[in-house]
Amino acid sequence: MKPIRSRSVRAIAIAAVAGSLALTGCSSNSGKEGKDQSKSKDDAAQQSKPVEYGDAKASTGPAAPVAGAKPGGTINVYMQSDMSHMDPGQIYVSDAGQFSNLVHRGLTNFQEDENGNLTVVGDVATDSGQSSDGGKTWTFKLKDGIKDEDGNVITSKDVRHTIERQYAKFIFDGPTYVQTWLSGADYRKALPDGPYKGKHLPDSVLETPDDKTVVFHFDQPRPDLPQALAMAGYSIVPEKQDTKEKYDKAPAALGPYKVADYKAGKSLKLVKNDQWDPKTDVVRHQYVDGYDFTTTIDQTSQTKRLIADQGEAKNAIQWTDSVDPAQIQDVVTDPAVNKRTIKGYQPYVWQMSFNLDKIKDKKIRDAITYAIPSQAMIQADGGKYGGELAGGLFAPTLPGFDPKYDPYGKLKKPNGDIAKAKELLQEAGVKDGTKLTYAYSNSPRGQAQQVIIKDALAKIGFDVQAKEIDRATFYEQIGKLDNPYDLYMTGWGQDWPSQSTVVTPVYDGEQIADGSPNYSHINDPQVNKLIKEALKLEPAEAAAKWEEAHHRIVEEINPAAPVYYSKQIQLFGSNIGGAKYSTESSYIDIDDVFLKQP
Amino acid sequence: MLQFLIRRLIGAVVIMFLIGAFTFFLFYAVPQDFAALSCGKNCSPENIAVIRENLGLDQPITTQFWNFMVGIVAGRDFAVGHCPAPCLGVSFKTGDFVWESIMDRFPLTLSLTIGGLIIFLLFGLGTGMLAAWKRGTVVDKIASGASIVLSSFQIYLLGPIVLGILVYQTGWMENPKYVPFTEDPAAWFIGLLIPWVVMATIFTAQYTRMARSTMIEQLQEEHVRTARAKGMSRKYVFFRYAWRGSLIPIVTIIGMDLSSLLAGGVVTEFTFDLAGLGRLAVESSVTKDLPLTMGAMLFGAFFILILNILVDIAYAFIDPRVRLS
Amino acid sequence: MTTLTKTEDAPNPTGSDAFLSVRDLRVQFSTEDGIVKAVDGLSFDVERGKTLGIVGESGSGKSVTNLTILGLHSTQTTSIDGEIVLDGKELITAGEKEMEKIRGNKAAMIFQDPLTALSPYYTVGRQIAEPYMKHTGASKKEARQRAIEMLAKVGIPQPQTRVDDYPHQFSGGMRQRAMIAMALVCDPDLLIADEPTTALDVTVQAQILDLLKDLQQEFGSAIIFITHDLGVISDMADDLLVMYSGRAVERGTVREVLRNPQHPYTWGLLSSMPRLGGDTAQALTPIPGSPPSLLNPPSGCPFHPRCTFTGEVTGNRCAEERPTLGVGRASACHLTAEQKQTIFIDKIQPRLR
Repeated sequence: MKPIRSRSVRAIAIAAVAGSLALTGCSSNSGKEGKDQSKSKDDAAQQSKPVEYGDAKASTGPAAPVAGAKPGGTINVYMQSDMSHMDPGQIYVSDAGQFSNLVHRGLTNFQEDENGNLTVVGDVATDSGQSSDGGKTWTFKLKDGIKDEDGNVITSKDVRHTIERQYAKFIFDGPTYVQTWLSGADYRKALPDGPYKGKHLPDSVLETPDDKTVVFHFDQPRPDLPQALAMAGYSIVPEKQDTKEKYDKAPAALGPYKVADYKAGKSLKLVKNDQWDPKTDVVRHQYVDGYDFTTTIDQTSQTKRLIADQGEAKNAIQWTDSVDPAQIQDVVTDPAVNKRTIKGYQPYVWQMSFNLDKIKDKKIRDAITYAIPSQAMIQADGGKYGGELAGGLFAPTLPGFDPKYDPYGKLKKPNGDIAKAKELLQEAGVKDGTKLTYAYSNSPRGQAQQVIIKDALAKIGFDVQAKEIDRATFYEQIGKLDNPYDLYMTGWGQDWPSQSTVVTPVYDGEQIADGSPNYSHINDPQVNKLIKEALKLEPAEAAAKWEEAHHRIVEEINPAAPVYYSKQIQLFGSNIGGAKYSTESSYIDIDDVFLKQP
Repeated sequence: MLQFLIRRLIGAVVIMFLIGAFTFFLFYAVPQDFAALSCGKNCSPENIAVIRENLGLDQPITTQFWNFMVGIVAGRDFAVGHCPAPCLGVSFKTGDFVWESIMDRFPLTLSLTIGGLIIFLLFGLGTGMLAAWKRGTVVDKIASGASIVLSSFQIYLLGPIVLGILVYQTGWMENPKYVPFTEDPAAWFIGLLIPWVVMATIFTAQYTRMARSTMIEQLQEEHVRTARAKGMSRKYVFFRYAWRGSLIPIVTIIGMDLSSLLAGGVVTEFTFDLAGLGRLAVESSVTKDLPLTMGAMLFGAFFILILNILVDIAYAFIDPRVRLS
Repeated sequence: MTTLTKTEDAPNPTGSDAFLSVRDLRVQFSTEDGIVKAVDGLSFDVERGKTLGIVGESGSGKSVTNLTILGLHSTQTTSIDGEIVLDGKELITAGEKEMEKIRGNKAAMIFQDPLTALSPYYTVGRQIAEPYMKHTGASKKEARQRAIEMLAKVGIPQPQTRVDDYPHQFSGGMRQRAMIAMALVCDPDLLIADEPTTALDVTVQAQILDLLKDLQQEFGSAIIFITHDLGVISDMADDLLVMYSGRAVERGTVREVLRNPQHPYTWGLLSSMPRLGGDTAQALTPIPGSPPSLLNPPSGCPFHPRCTFTGEVTGNRCAEERPTLGVGRASACHLTAEQKQTIFIDKIQPRLR
C-alpha cells in the first residue's frame, strides 16, 4: 500500500465535474441512525495476531473449497479509475494488488483463515522460504507444474529475471525493499540496465544453483523477506514473456485468470487461464469464468447501482473503492443492503504531521495534539464507517495493536482537550495570535477538515494560515524537505502486516530525503537504533521492539498527532457468494468469490 | 470560395499550433514536477530522476516542444515502440500513445453526439417551428413553457433522476453502456438511449426556444411580409422565407454545440459513467498528464476550427450575400 | 347605420364607380398597455386608373390602413371593423385562401425600403416570378421570361442577366424598380405604394415616380400612394386624403387641398415643409406638440391639443365634440367655412410663400 494518493485524485475530479454531490448529500445523517454495525476494536484483536511462516504442507494446493461455491459466470467489477498497473514490477497500490491476486503469482503469498489470521505460504515456491546464516540467506525451491499462460514452465531463471528487471529504469512505481536489501539504497547502479544486456547480479547476491532453486544473500538478517516477496510487486515475470515497457499493458498470467482485453481508462476483461493448475495453488480458486471490469464508474454510481441491485449489478463487486460516504446511511439502515457489505479496517492511520524543522517545541506539538477534535475529523470523512478514533500511530491492522493505548487522551476526549492545550501553550510561552501554516489538499475531505482544524487551533490562540494545495500534488509539495508549512494531515498504511513497513519509512531519521514519507522529518537517535535492531528480528520478537519505538515516537517526540484509523465498507451484488473482508488486502477477499447463480 | 477555404485552413493550422504551444508552455509555467507526480511511494530523488528520464522531461523544454511538434507531422519513437504520425506523444500515466487513446474514446463521443444531435434537432427545431407557427395558441404556450422549464434543467440533475427511475427503481433498463456500433447495433442503441434522451431533452428545450424566437423574428421581417403581399401562402412563406432566414442563427448555434460536444460531453460522460473524450480530458488534466491533456485540447480545438469553417461554408450556401461578397 | 352621425359620411355617396371603397374602417391592436386604435372610422374611395394620395405623420394610421386592405395585419392581436370592398368583393370577411388570390394579383403593394422588403436569399428573378406562377399557373420558364420582361419594363438594363442577381447586387433605385416589377407582374388593378421613394435619393426618386406614372398609364391601375411628403404627392396624386390620429381630417383633389387647405393640421403640414424657391427668410413652422397617443387619444377633435385656433371656436367644442368629415371636398374641423378661409388667407398663406 502507500500513502492515500492516486485513487482519491480521480474520485474528486469526478464529483466536482458531475456535481452529483448535491443530489446524494441529503440522505445521510438524517437523524435515523442505524444500529452501530461498524466493525469496532473488538474485531481488531482478531486482525492483530503476528504473521506465521508456513511450511511445505501449508503451501501445498489445492486450496480448501469455499462452502457452497459454484463454478461459472462472470463477475462485474466497478472501478472509478483505471487499473494503475499490470506489470508486477510497477504494482504497489491496492487496486493492482487485488488484480495481481487473480493474474500473477509470486514466490510467496498470504493465506488467510476465516478469522483473518495470516500465514505466509509458498506460492510458486514450495514453502515460505528457508533461512540460514541467522536470516541473512534465504533459499526457495520452486513447485512443479508452475506454467505461464502460454504453457512455459517457470524456472529459477524467471525468478532471478523478476528481481533483476526491477533494477531497470522503466520500473519505478513498485516496491524497492528486496532490491535495497540486496544491493543497497542506490541499487540501480548495481545493474543499470537490469538483466536486458546479459548482465546479472553476482551469485553472492542472487544465486540460481539449479532450475528449481533460488538463493538470496543479504548483508544483514532480513526476517521479513517472505512477507516482502508476497507483495504483488515481486510477482513472477517470465523472462521469455518480458516485453519491458509494454508488459504493463499485456502481462503474462501465472494465476487462475489472464487478461483477455484491456482498454485503458475504460475496461478490462479477465478470462480463465487454463495453464493454471489448482493443485499448485493453496490460496486461489477459479470459480467464475472471468471478470468484467468497468473502470469509469464513480463511487457515487457504484454505490447507487449496488444498492439498487438491478440487472448486471447483482453480479457486481466494488474493487478497491468504498461505499460513497453520502450513501452510507442508506446502506447500513437497510438490512437487505447491509448484509451485502463487507466491513473492516483499512491500514491507514490519519495523522497530523508536524514539520519538526518548524515546530521545534514538543509542548506546542502536544498542545495541538490535545486540541484536535478527532471526532469531527472523522465526521468529515464518512463518519463512523469511514474512520475510528486513533490513540496511537499503529493501525488496528498491525500485529500487536493495543486498542487501549491513548497517551494524549484522544479516545477519552474525542472532541479535543482545549484546556489542556492552552495550559501547555502557556508553559511554552506561546503568545496569542502566533501564526501557524497548515497545508491541506483541496479534496472534499481536505477542505472539510481544514475548517475543523482552523477552528480548533484558533480556539487555542493560533492564527492559522490555511494553504490549499492541489490534491494531485499534495504529497509532492509536503514531501519537499524545505516545505514552508508547519503542519499537514498525512495518511500512511503498511505494506505487509509488520510495523517495519510503517516505522521505517515514516519515522526513521535516516530515511529523510526529498519525497520520502518521513513528512515530519523526525530524526531521533534512539528511534533509529530501535528500528535497526527490530529489522533483524523474526516477526514475533520484533513486535516488542516496534512497540518500544512506537511509544518513544508518540510520547517522547510526538512528530504527528494520531487522529483516526480509516475504515472500510464495500458493497457487493446479491448474486455474489463467498464475499468477505480480507485482512491482507483490506478489501473484498478476491480469492474466494463466486456467483450463487452463475 | 476555394481561396477562402484555403485561407481558412491555413489559419486553422496556425491556430492549432498556437493552441498547442500555449498549452505546452502554460503547463510548464506552473512550477510542478511531473516526475514527482508520477511516482508512487518511492519518491526518492533518484527515482524521480529515473522517471524524468523515462518521460523525456530531462530535456530542455524547447527540445520537448520541438519533438512534440515534429511527432505530429512525422511520428516519433518511444520505448514502447514507434508512434506514427499524427503522434501526440505518450501518456505519462498509462504509457499509451495519446492518439490511440483519443481514437479509442472518440467513437463513444461521436455516438453520443450524433445520436443526441439527431434527436434534439428533430424535436427541438420541430417543436420550435410548431410553436412559432401556432404563436400565441395553447400549443405555443405549452411548448415554450416546457422548454423554459426543461432548459433550466441540467444533465447532472436530470440524468440521475432518469437513471433512478428507469434503472435503479424499476430495473426496466440497464445502466448506460457503450458497445461499438460495429459490434452490435442494437446494444449500441439501447446502451446509449438514456444518455441521448437526457442530453437531447435539455438541448431540445434550448433549440425549441431558439427556433421559435428566430422564426418569430424572421416572420416579422419586411421581406417576409412582402412575400405574403405577393399572395404566397402562409406555409410557403413560413418554410421558404422565414425558415431560410432562421438558418443562419440556427446553424451558428449547431456549429458551436457540435464542436463542444465532439470535444467531449464531460458532464454527460461522468453522469452516465461513460468513457469518452470529455472524461479523458478531465482526468488527464487532473492527473497532470501533459501529453494526454495536450492531445485532448488539440483534438477539441480541431473540431472547433473545422466546424467554424463548415459553418462559414454553410453561411455561404444559405446567404448569397456571404457567397457573393 | 345608426352611428352615421358619428362617423364620416361616404365620400361619394353613389360609390358605384369606385374600384376600392373603404367604409368606417376601424383597426385596433390589443397590446400589453391597452388597446391601440390605429385606424378609427376611416372611409375613402379609389377609382380605377386614379391615384389617391394619403399623407400624414408616422402613426397616423396610413400604413396600417393599407396593410389591412390586403389582410396583412397580425390576425392574433388585431380586431377589424368596417367594410373594405375591392371590385365588388368584401375583403374583411374574405378567407385566407381568397385573400391569397387577391394579393399580388388584383392588388399589389410596393414597400418603402426595397433593401429589407426583398428577401436576400432568393434571386430577384425568382421573387418576381413567384407570384406570377402562383396566380397564373405559369411554368417556371414562362415565369422567368415574364420576370425578364418586367425587369425590362421597369428599366433594368440587361434584364437577361440581372434576373439571376440577388437584391444586394442591385443599387437602391434598381431594387425599387425590381420591387415595382414584382408588384406589377400580375397586372394588378390596385397598387398600394407605401412611401415607395422615401428610402431613395432625390434623383432616383424622380425616376421612380415617373416610372410609376408611366406604368399606371400603361396598366391602368388604381394607385394608393402613401407618403408624408406633400411635394411628391402634388406630382403623383389625383385625390388627397390627409390623415391624423387614425382618421381622415381633410379630403379633396390634390389641387384643392394643396392650394386651399381647410384643416389646421394640413396648414401645419404645409407650413413645416420647405419649398423650392420659397422665401428663405421665412422660417419653417413646425406643428407644436407631438403626435397624439393612440392608446389614449384626446377627446373631441384629436388635433385640438396642438391646434392654435381652438380659441376661434365657440365654447369648448374642440375638446368635447369630435368634428365629422363631410362628403366630397371636406375637412373635419369645427371652424366655420368662413373662418377657415379667413385664417388661411390671413395667417397661413403668407407663410407658404
